Order: sequence, then C-alpha cells, then structure tokens
Amino acid sequence: MKLSGVLGQRVRGFRVVDLVALVIFLALALTVYAFKTSAGRERTDISHVESQIHDETRQVKLLRAQLAHLESPDRLEKLATQYAGQAPVGAKQELTPEALAQVVRPIPAPAPPAAKPGGQP
Amino acid sequence: MSLADALARPLSPVGRWITGIEHAFERARHSDKAVNDTRLRIFFVLALFGAGFVTLGLGATRAALFSAYSRGGALAAPIPNARAELTDRNGQVLAIDVPRYALYLDPHELVHPAEVRAALLAAVPGIAPAKLDRILAGDHRTFVVGALTPDQRSHIHDLALPGVSFEEESGRAYPLDDLAAHLIGFSSKDGIGLAGAEKAFDAEIRADKAPVALSIDLRVQGALQDELDAASQALGVAGAAGIVVNVRTGEILAISSFPSFDANAAGTADPATMVNHAATTVYEPGSVMKVFTLAMGIDAGVATPDTMFDVSHPLVVGSQTIHDYDHDGDQLSLAHVFTHSSNIGAARLGLLAGPEVMSRYYHAFGLFAAAPSELAESARPLTPKALTPNIVASMSFGHAISVTPLAIATGMSAILDGGVYRPLTLKKLAPGQAPAAGRRVIQESTSRTMLDLMRMNVVEGTGTKADVVGLRVGGKTGTATKLVHGHYVEGRNALNLASFAAIFPTDAPFSADRYLTLIMLDEPKPVAADSGVTSGAFTAAPVAGKVINRIAPFLGVRRVIIASDLAAKPAARATLGANEQ
Repeated sequence: MKLSGVLGQRVRGFRVVDLVALVIFLALALTVYAFKTSAGRERTDISHVESQIHDETRQVKLLRAQLAHLESPDRLEKLATQYAGQAPVGAKQELTPEALAQVVRPIPAPAPPAAKPGGQP
Repeated sequence: MSLADALARPLSPVGRWITGIEHAFERARHSDKAVNDTRLRIFFVLALFGAGFVTLGLGATRAALFSAYSRGGALAAPIPNARAELTDRNGQVLAIDVPRYALYLDPHELVHPAEVRAALLAAVPGIAPAKLDRILAGDHRTFVVGALTPDQRSHIHDLALPGVSFEEESGRAYPLDDLAAHLIGFSSKDGIGLAGAEKAFDAEIRADKAPVALSIDLRVQGALQDELDAASQALGVAGAAGIVVNVRTGEILAISSFPSFDANAAGTADPATMVNHAATTVYEPGSVMKVFTLAMGIDAGVATPDTMFDVSHPLVVGSQTIHDYDHDGDQLSLAHVFTHSSNIGAARLGLLAGPEVMSRYYHAFGLFAAAPSELAESARPLTPKALTPNIVASMSFGHAISVTPLAIATGMSAILDGGVYRPLTLKKLAPGQAPAAGRRVIQESTSRTMLDLMRMNVVEGTGTKADVVGLRVGGKTGTATKLVHGHYVEGRNALNLASFAAIFPTDAPFSADRYLTLIMLDEPKPVAADSGVTSGAFTAAPVAGKVINRIAPFLGVRRVIIASDLAAKPAARATLGANEQ
C-alpha cells in the first residue's frame, strides 16, 4: 500500500494525515513549552545571581571607600600622633637587613645554679 | 504491524469515548441516547483544553510578575553617570563610585501632604521647603533630591511615607577628603570630570570599568602634604605648592597645594582653596632659576664651573641695579656663584650667553609655554616680550618671567635626568614600560655637572638645611621678592616667594630612579625660630629635607652613611634626629 493511501485513510472519521499532524503539533507545542519554561527558570536564576552580584558589588564599593578613608595616611598620622605619640621615622631608626647582626646583642649565658650548702659536689 | 493495521485496531474504552465525540450528536439522535451524555463528553474535552490554557496562563503570569528582570537585574539600564575608580600607583582608592539614591515624590498618592512634608524636611535637611511645596502642589511624580546615602534612604524608607520612591544613581566619593584634592580633582553630578585627574582622564574613566591607576604614591603624597601644611600654617603663607617627581620616568608621585579643600564638598568649598597652585599659579621663581641659567651657560660652552665672575660691585644693567644678598669675595667661580646664589654672577653669565642662547635654551626647557601635562589646569607663563639686556639679566636669577611650579619641575627634571626633556605624567607606567622618548636639551655631562653643583650647594652652600643624612641630597634655594602694586618692596616689609628644588640621590646613575622635590611657599611670614628670615634657605629648604627624609624609605632609596656625615655637619645631625622621640 502506498503511503499516500495510508495517510488518506480515515480512522473513526479522522484522516490519518490529520491525526499525524495533530500529534506532531502537540508534541512540538509541549516541547517548546517545556523548553521555554525551563529556560525561563534558568533566566530567573541567572538574573537572581546577577542581582546578588550587583548588590555585593555595591557593598564592596562602599566598603572600599570606607577602607580608603580609614587608611588615609593623613588620618592615620593624626591618630598615631594623637594617641600613640608617634612621629615619622628618623634616620637612626632605620636599619638595613645587612646591619641587623650588628645590633643583635649576644644573649648572656645563664648563670650556673648556686651550690646548696652541704649538697653533693 | 503496519501503520494502517495499528490505526485500524480497536481503541480502548477511554479512547473510544474521546474519539466518539465526532458525530456524537448524530449517533445520539440515531441511538436515542440522552443528549446530556454527549454534552458531558464535550465539557470534559473543553475542560482539558481549559486546564492547558490555565497552565500556560499561570506560567506566563509567573514570568511576568515574579521574574527578576522586573526588579532591575541584568537588564537594568546602566547608570549614566558611572565612572571608573581612580587609584594611586599601588591600588589605593582615590575616587570611587558609591551607590546613591534619588528621591521622587508623587503628589497623587498623598493623603496627608502636610505630614509627608514635615517628615521629609526633618529627614533630609538639604531639601528647600519652597521646592517641596511646589512639588506637592504639582500633578506628577517629581525629583526631589539626589545623592542620598544608603543610610539616608533606609531611614526615609522606614518612615513608610506614601508617594515617596527612590531611584538608584551613582555618586562620586573621595575617601581621602582633602588629601591630594587638587590632583584628584572632582566630577559633576552628571559624571563629567571637572578638575584634576578626574578631568584629565575623563574619557578613560567614563569608558573603562577597570580602575585607572595614577602615577602618584599615596604615602609620598601624605608626607608631602603633611609637611607642606605644617610649614604653611607655621609660616602663615598665602599659598604653597609641592611636587615630587621621578625624573627618570617623568612620573609625578605627589602634588600638593595649600590651602586644600574637601573634594566631597567641592560645590560649597571656598574657590580660593580650590586653586591648584602647583599647576595654575605663576610665580617669579627667584634663584631656583639659576639651575636653568647655569645649565644653559655650561652646556653652551659659555662658562665652566671654574670660570671666575666679578661680583665685587652691584651690576648696573640699563635702569636696573643688581645686588647680592651676601658678599663673599670679589671674584667667585661659577660653582660658587651657584652655592652663594649670586645674582650678579648669574646675571653676568646670562649676559655672556646673550638673548639668542637664552631664548633657545629656555624654550627647550619649556619655560616659555604651559607645562605639557594631562592637567587642564596647567597655566601659561608670563614671559617678556623681548629679551633686552635688562630682561636677560633679570631672568638669569629668576625675575622678569613667571612660571608655574609644574613648569619648573618639568624643565628641571630634564636637566637632572641626563638632559632629556619629557612631559611629566600623572599616568602610572606599566611594569617594564619605557618612559616617553623625550628630546635632548642638554648634554649628559652637563646634567652630571648640575647634579654635582646641586649636591655641593646642599653640603656647603645655601641649601644646607635640606640635607638629610645618607640620602645625597642636592638642591637650590630661591627667594623672589614679590611685586606689590608694580614695585619690588625690599626690607622687612618685603613679600617673598621662598622655594627649594631638591634632587636625591645625586650620585645615582642616570639609569636609576632619582627624585625631584620642589617646594614653594608664597609670602612666608617671619618667625622667631628662623630669626625672622623668610628666605628659601630658612623656610622651604627644611620642608624639602623633611619630606625627603620621610619618603626615601617608600621610594627604596637607601641611606649611605659615612663617618663624615655624622662628624662634620651639625645641620645633618640635626636632621638625623629631628623626628626622633
């Protein structure tokens, strides 16, 4: 039997070709819907993450600005002078790594324990 | 089984029930069954379709109402006034965008406008009552105030005022307040750079998301500004400027101007404090110009450091009589003309060179034009119309020409970096990036001679107060009497521009980094500690020494201390212990 003959047949009043087209149409519609729904969900998730990144970036910027203010040399110097009595380092306070050995004093050897009276020699 | 056979197979009862809808009415009439049964079948099929549509509808509704897009996520419009971060050469933040909010008010949504008015005025003091009244009387949603901080927004939001809404915008924050304010500059609320680096690199800052790194070192900037501010306040100056430059690369490491201002409140700052004296104000620089004069004379072969000059009597040139502040012998070698800062000797050298040579060299040093800089503030000098003998003599010791400190720093960098003139830059050079090519203006040997002369001047000349133990500092003092109502006022009522140009370490090879520190104090007042002397040697030179003493460790310049440093020079010993507890 030829294919055209099969497709032209009627099953319970419906042409086979119509039934096949309907099945294909429904399968396509459902597939597209499933994919669209899935993609929409993914997009929502991505958007949610991007929104989180945006918020975090905003927060990071605020914190960076705050940190820069707190670490300002001007501010630190005033605080160091006011509360710790510190001042810029002078030449005598600088040391090269090579000169470290000169300033490290040898640790004195511990004194021997005094002998107890009447003890063992 | 063929397709035809499969389709011809009897259907299940449910299948028969569904497919039986076709001709259902005819069959119902034919079989005299109740029509209700057929209607029920139709209703059931419609219910299936209905359920399908409801499912689709719910999905669409969910996507429409609960998608993150509607909350301004990835598809939100970019903030129009966004600008990239500005950082120093080590990544320290100088300027940064922070979230700010604009407050809008919709009068239609207000039930009790008076209450909203009172609450807003109390919560945001910056709102003008008249403006708020106009908005409340209007008929559409209107911008009320911008640049609200997140805390302010949160506070207003918590008031739950009807009709009030917020829109995010970008605000520019300058976390260092007044530190480096002139150098960093500021931008408008629209995100357009208006001054300083914000204006100089506006296109790059607006185009890039990556931070824009400047050449400055915040540690050096902090030390320079601290010392300059301290001296300026102690000496009651009218203004002051300081610059630190790496002369090998042409990178500016610090620029400071006194008085300063808070860039976060640039709109309300006193305009006088916003002037960048380092780049904008032109001064008659005084004797620091002798660096240029001697470099010219030596390089052109007019004289050598050993050439003798007669300084026994004041020099009369045209209507002008040129004096020296100190008289130390009738004949001075050129080297001693420099270390004694002899105006007569410098003027004689200038006259020997002549106007053509002077014009050629001063043009080459960039003294007859605005300093080539990214800063739009870089001002043009005031130059004489013609180089008459009188003018040539005056220019030789820093009068008759007014230039910016930035122009002096640029020209002097050329003299002290081996003789190559290159524009100073505020952009950090990438690691391994070669400095700009530049153009040769003097021979390398002349540059070395000038370094030696400047070192000699600090060891035994007018610049001893700038010496710092072990750092091989060289320098030149400058004291220019200022014009008052068109006349130079001498004596105790004189108004001076005191300056000092320092270079360290003077003995480094030209391939190594070397740093220029320029200090200018405008109208320092006499103080008892300096016996009332307001010359550059007593006011600006110590500031330069203190700055160098503090920044050398940051710049990796090691002290080379020899015994004579500590034994021979009381000034050096004083500097050595100056900052110690």
